[in-house]
Amino acid sequence: MKRSFGSNSSGNSGSNKKTKKKIPSNQKTLGAAWGAASLPSSRSSFRSSPFSDFGRVLKLENSSESVDLYNDLKMVLHFYMEVKNRKLQNQYDTEATTSSYGVSGSEKLIFQGVSIFVDGFTIPSHQELRGYMMKYGGRFENYFSRRSVTHIICSNLPDSKVKNLRAFSRGLPVVKPTWIVDSISANRLLGWVPYQLDQLNDTQPKLSAFFAPRSHLTPHVASPVTSCQPETGYSEAEEGSSIRAEEGSSIRAEDSEESRDHVDDEIDGVCVENTTPEMTEQTRADDLISSEVNAEILSNYDNEEKEVSSELQSSTNLPSASDNKSFHVNGKNNGKSFATPAGSSSRRHSTLEDPNFVENYFKNSRLHFIGTWRNRYRKRFHGSSNGLKCADSGQNTAENAKKSTIIHIDLDSFFVSVVIRNRLELHDKPVAVCHSDNPKGTAEISSANYPARAYGVKAGMFVRHAKDLCPRLVIVPYNFEAYEEVADQFYDILHRHCRKVQAVSCDEAFLDVSDLINVEPEFLASTIRKEIIETTGCSASAGIGGTMLMARLATRVAKPAGQFHIAADKVEEFLDQLPVGTLPGVGSVLKEKLEKENIQTCGQLRLISKDSLQKDFGVKTGEMLWSYSRGLDLRSVTAVQESKSIGAEVNWGVRFRDQKDVCIPVQHFLQCLCKEVHLRLQGCEVIGRTFTLKIKKRKKDAEEPAKYMGCGDCDNMSRSITVPAATDDIEVLQRISKKLFGSFCLDVKEVRGVGLQVTKLESADPSNKGSRTLTSWLSSASASVQTEKDDNVFAAEVRENSDSKRYDTGGVSRLRESYSAEPSVQSGDTNSSLPPMCHLDMEVLENLPPELLSELDGTYGGKLFELIEKRRGKRKINSNSSHVSLDGTASIKDSKSFSVKTHGLRTSGEKEHEEAHVPHPSIARTSSERTIEMADLMPSSLSQVDVSVLQELPEELRADVLGAFPTHRRQQQSSSDAAPMETCKNQDKEPIDMKEAEKEIGFSYSSLWLGNPPQWVENFKVSGDSTLEKLSEIYYKVATSRPMLSTVLQHAISEVGSFRDANGNGLDKSIYDVCELLKQYMKLKVEGDIEEIYLCFRLLKRLAARSQLFHQVYEILSPFIQALVSEHYGGSLSIP
Amino acid sequence: MNQKDANHSGEVGRTLVEFLEVAITMIVYVKGLYPSAAFERRRYMNVVVQRASHPELRDYIHSAASGLLPFIEKGLVERVAVIFYSKDNVPVERFIFKLTINLSSAASVEEGHLEFALRSFLVKLSVSKSLVKPLPHHCRWEVTAYLRSLPEVGSSKESELWIPTDTKQWQKPAVITPVKSLDSEPLCLQLYLEHPSLSEPQPCQAQS
Repeated sequence: MKRSFGSNSSGNSGSNKKTKKKIPSNQKTLGAAWGAASLPSSRSSFRSSPFSDFGRVLKLENSSESVDLYNDLKMVLHFYMEVKNRKLQNQYDTEATTSSYGVSGSEKLIFQGVSIFVDGFTIPSHQELRGYMMKYGGRFENYFSRRSVTHIICSNLPDSKVKNLRAFSRGLPVVKPTWIVDSISANRLLGWVPYQLDQLNDTQPKLSAFFAPRSHLTPHVASPVTSCQPETGYSEAEEGSSIRAEEGSSIRAEDSEESRDHVDDEIDGVCVENTTPEMTEQTRADDLISSEVNAEILSNYDNEEKEVSSELQSSTNLPSASDNKSFHVNGKNNGKSFATPAGSSSRRHSTLEDPNFVENYFKNSRLHFIGTWRNRYRKRFHGSSNGLKCADSGQNTAENAKKSTIIHIDLDSFFVSVVIRNRLELHDKPVAVCHSDNPKGTAEISSANYPARAYGVKAGMFVRHAKDLCPRLVIVPYNFEAYEEVADQFYDILHRHCRKVQAVSCDEAFLDVSDLINVEPEFLASTIRKEIIETTGCSASAGIGGTMLMARLATRVAKPAGQFHIAADKVEEFLDQLPVGTLPGVGSVLKEKLEKENIQTCGQLRLISKDSLQKDFGVKTGEMLWSYSRGLDLRSVTAVQESKSIGAEVNWGVRFRDQKDVCIPVQHFLQCLCKEVHLRLQGCEVIGRTFTLKIKKRKKDAEEPAKYMGCGDCDNMSRSITVPAATDDIEVLQRISKKLFGSFCLDVKEVRGVGLQVTKLESADPSNKGSRTLTSWLSSASASVQTEKDDNVFAAEVRENSDSKRYDTGGVSRLRESYSAEPSVQSGDTNSSLPPMCHLDMEVLENLPPELLSELDGTYGGKLFELIEKRRGKRKINSNSSHVSLDGTASIKDSKSFSVKTHGLRTSGEKEHEEAHVPHPSIARTSSERTIEMADLMPSSLSQVDVSVLQELPEELRADVLGAFPTHRRQQQSSSDAAPMETCKNQDKEPIDMKEAEKEIGFSYSSLWLGNPPQWVENFKVSGDSTLEKLSEIYYKVATSRPMLSTVLQHAISEVGSFRDANGNGLDKSIYDVCELLKQYMKLKVEGDIEEIYLCFRLLKRLAARSQLFHQVYEILSPFIQALVSEHYGGSLSIP
Repeated sequence: MNQKDANHSGEVGRTLVEFLEVAITMIVYVKGLYPSAAFERRRYMNVVVQRASHPELRDYIHSAASGLLPFIEKGLVERVAVIFYSKDNVPVERFIFKLTINLSSAASVEEGHLEFALRSFLVKLSVSKSLVKPLPHHCRWEVTAYLRSLPEVGSSKESELWIPTDTKQWQKPAVITPVKSLDSEPLCLQLYLEHPSLSEPQPCQAQS
């Protein structure tokens, strides 16, 4: 025995040192695969690397059996590489020692802990880099290995590697060799982030750079005062350092120039921060930098980057800020050019980096301006449009009979002419408006003036192309304040001349002048145009016609700066030659269709009968084509209509990084979006009930879009939720959007655009809110949807907060159990203070998964464990060893009922915010700060509170609520004694509604196996499907004492004869339900009870032979179960 | 963890090791590797079990199991496998004990409860002859432990008997037949059988 062991270990002892070294990482890989159990990784670790256990496995040989060491070919190779690597390392070490002793012992070991792998040709060369690393305490790897290498150095990558970066770099930073050189010259380890390979970065200027000078009306002319001062300081400082660098070693001139660029970048960063409201009070540059760094930390969880930024944070020495260059060079005040792409950067103008992205996005979006302008208009000209409405209702019918005259007025190239109206020198030059003018020219032109249009420059064109067409093209940025000003002046004039104004857009309107008998429409139009050009400095065109259609078509002829009248008798003549494509409502698709049928002009279109048009193009389109081709337009000039929906959408610059803590940027993004929508809702003074989240997802084979950071080719998806009571509450919006987003189950990397839209709008005016009282809210059948939603969203939140591992293995019940821990879990997220320890629900804590618990423990400085230990001890004394999990469940149930009641109370109270946001029960219970915070949502007097609800509250909670009221009003309580029947009823309904609510949005995170009896039993009982009802029955009969699925299935086999399968949709639904039930169960059990899974699997197979439903369930689940098992055990279940 | 708790978790470890020794013997017995005369009937945890009467075999199993104790106490052991090899050193069948011990909660568990749970494994093993495959001739077997990380050398005399090894594994994911599961605090133990999948490439003769 000894001998055999001896021979074994001697074989290994040679590589003892090596083995030791590689073990931790080796183990890590495998450990991760087991723990995280992510499907692909664990599979591959089993399948493709049969020797991955190498070096980690202990074996005890039975000496009585023959001992033979087999040497597999692979092993030999492995050993060879090991030995070679070791030899190289030894060589390196000896060289390093000699050189450091021999050359200069004083060299700082700046690269300690850095281990580089050089890929391909570099300047300085491979050998030089090796020398540097040796000299400055770093390591140099000859062979790439994920565990020993920390940085990959290369100056150029083939496209294939760029495309497949992750496979190539294995997540390691890919850095330019200048990083090493610069670090040496700076005599300390610089952050690698700015030295990331250019190819991996986009070299366009960022939106943030464009945002920066926003505070000045014309950034082009005005000099960014703030940046002037620090700039010189920076440059000087940096110059100093680069001089030092030149003394120190051979740093090239470009390098120092580059680093100077970095400094400029940093200054831009300062500007950007200045524009964001939170930061305005901070004026000191270094403050700003550090806050910037904070943002960096937030958005960037890469460890190394964090290191860099914390390093940055600690150093107040200004030049060092250039280490972490995260801004692009902005156009300088001398106006030389807009921007020069800096070598490398993180994309601050995408959702990846910029925490204020959404805000900035909307601040600078033209579409947003147009979208919100209407609202502004409505408010401003509310009175006059009201008059119009009244007039309309009375005259509508009469008007149709009468000859009407309509003027269409449109400002010429509004977005350009407003900007250049005070810049006479540009009036006859080709000018276009675009958000950026970078040399790459990948930005889209949004509007061009007529001289530019003469060159063929059009809106939507890339700047690059436009400049090809017209090299002298001047690009100017938006000026939203001026747009607003001009639009207001424009409408002032219109309203002065005419009562019936229909605003189409900020620069376009219809006037109904039929009533103005004593004025020639042509004269009126020219008067208006004259006034407009005098007041605003912008020219307008007018078209006059009998219908809105004709007026609009006339304007097209009139442009630019003219007017045109199509008299009633000229209509046919005019339309005869008009290409169909110019009709409003005829887009490219319809035009193509028409051209296929050889219809080019309206004259040709007129020859076709209405019926055949409607047959070919659909009823509505056909009708439209038919009447438009005759110049008919039944629409009449009306005031701005109440908007049917309000929303906001971002589909530019949306990029999220795939990380395990990915939820944070995404959540932040959603929050910002919700805030925007919230503001818009408030602006329009409406509240909405249906919320739709629209997602643009990159098409599978779509490449990076041509438009920089654009959305490219996308699949559009949307999901919506309707809540019982309309709301504009930002928290509700956030919760709903988070939930909806979660329901897409997307890879966030693929998301290219997100939009949130609110429909079913109601007026937020308190006067017509009578219908939405507490009673109506409670009696509404779907009332508890809201409650459940919070619940669900929370579950999602927890899931997002914890790492993916827990999601895979943790089982759903744990999620639910951690439910009440929200305040503490969230605290990491929202930076709110932790609830005091004494307020924590111990039962919940004990049921938390260990990872989460230890995390929590960390936030409490390790005191949590002590507390739990103590409690455990106490428990033992009480010999209360009953099921902890049951306790947990009970407490959850408990808290759920709280939540309903609380909800009720709050709803009654909130006259201002109609939609109650449900305070999380444990928040209300545990953190008194929160309650106080909510005080402003509370009614000012207790008379507004439903006392019956209040009385139903548990004592603790009631005390909290009452504590939030002004003291002198307290005695009013306890006057009423009405029983809160409705609340109770509502509670009873809840489980069913819950399920429905889940279905409504098509996913379910909730645990069907939670509770006793588990939730599914209830759900199945009322499902209406005989099979499901039967299952529920069986559960009650046999499994109540031992809630195992196998018990249920076993009995199901004996009773399967009596199962009647539903058909059609019912069957599908039942199959889905059973699958969901089984899936959740399997996930719950796979870790701890593979036996049970095996049992269920076999029982299911037996059932499958007898029941159609189970047959399908088996077909669906069998691969799922196998995958699940192989995830956890590295093999598949044997099928009997 | 205080002293008392340490003692307690030690108890769990000792129970487990004892159990493993018995269970491994049971597996060897069930496999019919040795003539049944090489075993003798004993009673353990109130179940009839077998014990190897050959001193060397008994010693091997005992040393294997008890050698694991230090590793188990450190929570290092992830799986313990009893592997049966064919003549060509290709595994033909593996009995896997996958175990997770929660050392922090080990203190609160009653001895009797754990023994009761472990007993069911022995009962199940004694009747699981039908699950196992007939052994080829000239086979051999060994006990292999999969650790979460490699321990430092020489923590105790007994554990020195364990040596690092590289175990030949199958190219394809194995086919699993669960035997028994225990999911409780502080011990979570799964016993299952692994067989090579049907698509497993036949061992190349040259390799031996």
